[in-house]
Amino acid sequence: MSNPHQYIALVTSLPHLGVLFTRKEVPISQFRLKQRLGVLSPGHQKHLREMVEVTAWAGVAKYDSDASVISRAREVIADLAEYPDLQHLVAARMETRTLIAALRRRREGQETAGRISEWGYGRWLAFIKDNWMDPGFGLSHFLPWIAEADRFMRSGDHIAMERLALTEVMRELDHYGNHHEFDFEAVAIYVLRWVIVERWSRYNEADARERLQVLLEDALHANDTHTTHPASMSETPLPSEGAYS
Amino acid sequence: MNEFVVALGWFGLFAPVALGAIGSAWGCALGGSAAIGAMLDSDGGYGRFIGVSLMPSSQVIYGIVIMFSLQQQTVDAANGAALFGIGVLSGFTMLFTGIRQGEVLASAIHASKAKPEIFGISLAPAAVLEGFSVFALVFALVLAGSIPS
Repeated sequence: MSNPHQYIALVTSLPHLGVLFTRKEVPISQFRLKQRLGVLSPGHQKHLREMVEVTAWAGVAKYDSDASVISRAREVIADLAEYPDLQHLVAARMETRTLIAALRRRREGQETAGRISEWGYGRWLAFIKDNWMDPGFGLSHFLPWIAEADRFMRSGDHIAMERLALTEVMRELDHYGNHHEFDFEAVAIYVLRWVIVERWSRYNEADARERLQVLLEDALHANDTHTTHPASMSETPLPSEGAYS
Repeated sequence: MNEFVVALGWFGLFAPVALGAIGSAWGCALGGSAAIGAMLDSDGGYGRFIGVSLMPSSQVIYGIVIMFSLQQQTVDAANGAALFGIGVLSGFTMLFTGIRQGEVLASAIHASKAKPEIFGISLAPAAVLEGFSVFALVFALVLAGSIPS
């Protein structure tokens, strides 16, 4: 699809996603979104699939190692040569993930960055390696959220950590989205935002399901045991963790 | 040389209509595409989307008015250059404002889907562009009165 009028019609047909963390469900279903995106050319649909594959948790989960994710991301970035902003966006997303992966590795007791080029991507590898024990990897001046993420991670507040990471990703999407209104980049950025909103809404759904389960168990076993569930059972379930979530 | 100036005169006479029509067509297509897309995502208010998308159609009407004001009993060497200058420049104004109006209307329709309360104010840039078209129309009419016939 190259006609700008078609992009205008497509972009205006997509509902506003709203402010992150405020919606309990996505304003457009996956089925309906795919239906609307059907007007894209096969080449653009391929670009979109590839971008989602390397940026969304569900797409990354099928890879068995960080190295294969990074290798795939490099291929996708090379394929997006016609769209420099999307290249920067995917690269920025990989860098954000690298920083989160570094925080997790350090929390798990890793004393040095090790072979960071095998599990990390982007401009900050040298900073991370040289400042491994610094809370913000020596990047606090550029990226103040890292130290905050470190604090959340150490305190075990995974929900706050996830919110912070998603906010950072959303900020990157907003930054590049401001330059595109009715073009392929605008559509791609919308889809990436939709993936994040949809992911957060699933957390809420999982949360609700867990709470319902606890309530059902309480009701079913109340007469037998007369005991309450441990506090941990009623806590908000943690979001899926991984080096590339 | 005289024939060339006469040819330019005829060119300038029809330019406001032709260029205005292109601007209106382009602008309405941009605004109309946005309106069609917005209707897919809305449960009502279709009329207002279509209504504002037709705003750039005024440019061709202004072009027609300018053409009639420039029309002389004869197009000759004495008035050819004036017809050319006024007609072509006002025509380009209609072309440019029509296209740009379509673009800002598409943005307005898109933005008002997210925040319906801004629908009215989001049309202000399109109204300002309309004002520029009207400036070009009025002063083309003023100048048309001083063309030697």
